[in-house]
Amino acid sequence: MKILNRSNRLGLIVATPFVAFLLLFLIYPTIVILYKAFTPGGTFGFDAMTRALSGSYLTGFISSTKLSIASALIGGVLGLLLALTVKGMTRPRWLHTTLDAWSAVASQLGGVPLAFAFIATIGTQGLLTKLLMQIGIVPSDYGLSVSGFWGLVFVYLYFQIPLMFLVMMPAVNGLRQTWREAALIAGASPTRYWRSVGIPLLIPAALGGMLLLFVNSFTAYSTAAVLNASLDIVPLQIRFLLQGNVITGEEDLANAIVAWVILLLLVSLTVMTILQRRTLRWTRS
Amino acid sequence: MSATPTRRIALPAVRGGYLILIGIYFLLPLLAMARFAFQNVPMALLTPEKLLAGWSVSGLWTAITDPQVMSATWTSVQIVALSIVLNLVILVPVAIVTEVRNPALRPLINALTLLPWVIPPIALVVGVAATFRVAAPWFLASTLSLVPFYALWAMPFTYRVLDAGLQAINARTLYEAARGMGASFPTIIFKVILPNMRASMIASAALTAALVLGEFAFASLLLKSTLPTEMVTYQGSDPRGGLALALFVMVVTAVILGLVVKAMRRQGINFQASGF
Repeated sequence: MKILNRSNRLGLIVATPFVAFLLLFLIYPTIVILYKAFTPGGTFGFDAMTRALSGSYLTGFISSTKLSIASALIGGVLGLLLALTVKGMTRPRWLHTTLDAWSAVASQLGGVPLAFAFIATIGTQGLLTKLLMQIGIVPSDYGLSVSGFWGLVFVYLYFQIPLMFLVMMPAVNGLRQTWREAALIAGASPTRYWRSVGIPLLIPAALGGMLLLFVNSFTAYSTAAVLNASLDIVPLQIRFLLQGNVITGEEDLANAIVAWVILLLLVSLTVMTILQRRTLRWTRS
Repeated sequence: MSATPTRRIALPAVRGGYLILIGIYFLLPLLAMARFAFQNVPMALLTPEKLLAGWSVSGLWTAITDPQVMSATWTSVQIVALSIVLNLVILVPVAIVTEVRNPALRPLINALTLLPWVIPPIALVVGVAATFRVAAPWFLASTLSLVPFYALWAMPFTYRVLDAGLQAINARTLYEAARGMGASFPTIIFKVILPNMRASMIASAALTAALVLGEFAFASLLLKSTLPTEMVTYQGSDPRGGLALALFVMVVTAVILGLVVKAMRRQGINFQASGF
């Protein structure tokens, strides 16, 4: 009994600062956001929540969703292909270590420096822009400029591809060579092996990874803010509202938009966790 | 069967080609940035014979000696240090006690540490403006008020690293073995567990540092001058120096994160596994 008490006391000492910290700096502000989102003007109602999904704010949600889907799909496919490409490769020997370390770095490299790097690359005076113009291609004719939609997708791939690579590597490495050999010995063609074994096993992990990429891009702020602050995407609209550009009676709009974002993230991350658990079941054994 | 020989030649070529394309995509922006930052030749005048002309680090030097940049850097260094300390002080005890005494609580703690992912900077900033700005304006007046929030967003990464570190050293077995030999609880923690956690604590610290050096949204929206926000301001007046500074910060961050990967590999933890 004494041991139990001591263990409880120890748990309490350790847990109190942790829980207090979370409550004060994360949960309390979040509850205030949600409370204000559902009580516009002081009385309970869905007014702010519906207005946050109408007019230019609806446009913002739609373009943010498009941007996130495009960068998650393209980044997801390219990242998965990268993982599959290097899976069987043992030479050159530095390839795996370099790629692992680089992906860890690049997946976190969002933000200001990344935006600058792409201004120097596909900006009007950029290196790639000039190189392509040498051979008679004007990149902006194809929508590839730092301020456009596809330009932003192109930039986001810089952190999306490595993130997908990191997330998919455990699943891809979990496809055991013996399964492939067993399938081939049993008479299956490599195509058949991929169709019946490889792809069905990888699909949950790949979908989970792409959801993570979707969330990652939906909430990315700095790169877009530096490249083109006038884009109609949710993070930039939140900034607009936060900087006090608010008409009377619209104060709770920012809260309502954030409430929708939190809801979206909560659903995405929950689905992602479920998909991830399915993958863990067979990669761990 | 007749398709096999062509496939054997084609597959490595496709693989190699893909890797080269990806390599170009990742290297070209860095090269373009380095050229713009360190070569004082406008793009319009750049011809093949001028490729090696006009390279200098003067832009970077001007940028890092700028008083405003220097003071923003100092602010960021303080925020980095304080965020690391706060993050470790809160999380290390939780990680240890959960692992050695209450493993049943692991799923709960895991879920709690992932919460900051659901409320990213761009969302939380609205709540912080609505609460602290009213209830405690003195708190938000200080640039150091960013510290608790940065420690918070580092948590999903650092907790995973600390937890993986404890698993890698078999902390529960160490704890039970030490207790079986009669060691007191403080002795076990300070003489057995903590010394073995050095690598994962260094990795956590480095992850926090990288996060702080890259965070722009929250600081910018609360109008705080940190290195990332100052970088944007500075770039407005000196594009070349601004890019040099950004490249410099990028390299520093890359080195820091490289150290994380190395520290973790030494402990037998794969960075990929901690992605989630």
